[in-house]
Amino acid sequence: MGIVEIYEIIMDTLVFIFATNPFSPWIRGVLGGLVIGAVFGGALVMVYLERKFLGDMQSRIGPNRVGGRFGVLQLIADAIKLFTKEDIIPAKADKWLFIGAPIVALTSGFLMVAVIPFDLLIIKGNEYAVAVSRMDISILYIEAVSGLAIFATFMAGWGSSSKYAVLAAFRNVAKMIGYEIPMGISILSVAVMAYSLDIVEIVEAQSSIWFIIAQPLGFVIFFIALLADVGRIPFDQTEAEEELVAGWATEYSGMRWGLAFFAEYLHAVVGSFIVTLIFLGGWNGLPFVGNLYIPGIFWVIAKTIIVMMLFIWIRAALPRYRIDQVIDIGWKVLIPLALLNLVWSTIIGLMWA
Amino acid sequence: MIDLQIIPFAIISIIMIGSSIMVVKSKEVVHSAFHCVITMMAAAGFYVLLSAQFIAVVQILVYVGAIGVMILFAVMLTTRNQEVE
Repeated sequence: MGIVEIYEIIMDTLVFIFATNPFSPWIRGVLGGLVIGAVFGGALVMVYLERKFLGDMQSRIGPNRVGGRFGVLQLIADAIKLFTKEDIIPAKADKWLFIGAPIVALTSGFLMVAVIPFDLLIIKGNEYAVAVSRMDISILYIEAVSGLAIFATFMAGWGSSSKYAVLAAFRNVAKMIGYEIPMGISILSVAVMAYSLDIVEIVEAQSSIWFIIAQPLGFVIFFIALLADVGRIPFDQTEAEEELVAGWATEYSGMRWGLAFFAEYLHAVVGSFIVTLIFLGGWNGLPFVGNLYIPGIFWVIAKTIIVMMLFIWIRAALPRYRIDQVIDIGWKVLIPLALLNLVWSTIIGLMWA
Repeated sequence: MIDLQIIPFAIISIIMIGSSIMVVKSKEVVHSAFHCVITMMAAAGFYVLLSAQFIAVVQILVYVGAIGVMILFAVMLTTRNQEVE
């Protein structure tokens, strides 16, 4: 039995599952569980890759003891350590806000996961997106719920009544207010070019040409704004170790800190998925070559891992900006360029129409 | 057969009424601001129940993501270091 036949059997099974009742809550539930598991796994992979590649790039070894030479079980050991550590709530803390902050951070991440499509199956002329939920306005929805992550920083900053946490919360909010705007405008330019706010249709619009080629400026702006949004290194002033200890998570310990840490990586993973889907062609294969008979979901995951590597590479290569430089870049550079890109994409989009 | 939509409607209503009372009753102004944000999110829930997803998302984007953050930012800037008994 060749690979092609196995592929066809898998596809037939998927067809059967989806075509019988695509909106059955059981199927949606199983799909949701799978997607949540996949993104959890993705975040774990990202943490592991980050430690390993940072080690390589800085001429260190990285994790190398637990689970063989490559330290693949290091993360499990870390998780066990975090679960068994003492859970400390400071005496002066505002208890409900302190407890709620990691929950809000994770909620925002998981709400974003809900609309991320992994593939599009076309069965007898009907389209079935491999996603927990397909919305008409999914990219706008992602933009909206990613904004909820700011509240986690706020709640932690106020709740833990620590100078470091409050300073980090202020920095985070000042940064987020500035960077949500170029991010929103570059998403808008993509939507203008694709004539849709639905991620599935945005990906389908890239079947001939990826949007990174059609609007490279938009990609650069979106990527920088995304780095700032998820707090990766050139923009991680909210947890600058030399200045603010651990930023807004200073007073957290044990698994609460673990959740806060995990929420950041979850946002980074979801951010890489969004970059893949709206700029790198999603489940469309390479340009001019096509899919090469590889299912779309593998293309999505491969491209996502490449974007993650780019994140890690940037972290290893660049130093950290000062907070005033960050605000300057956001308001004085990125927003004018984003508006320019909007004009460009409108003109190109109209010409293509 | 009772319309099942009454259940989420009741839950969201209770959340909304409770949090809007807490906006007025809270001792600390930051808590008021957070309850205000919860009230706005409950309003988005009502829009979803009315099958107006676009308005719900825009409600979250504008009221929660922008106005709520601005209120919180201003409140935290002004009231830090005031001991509340």
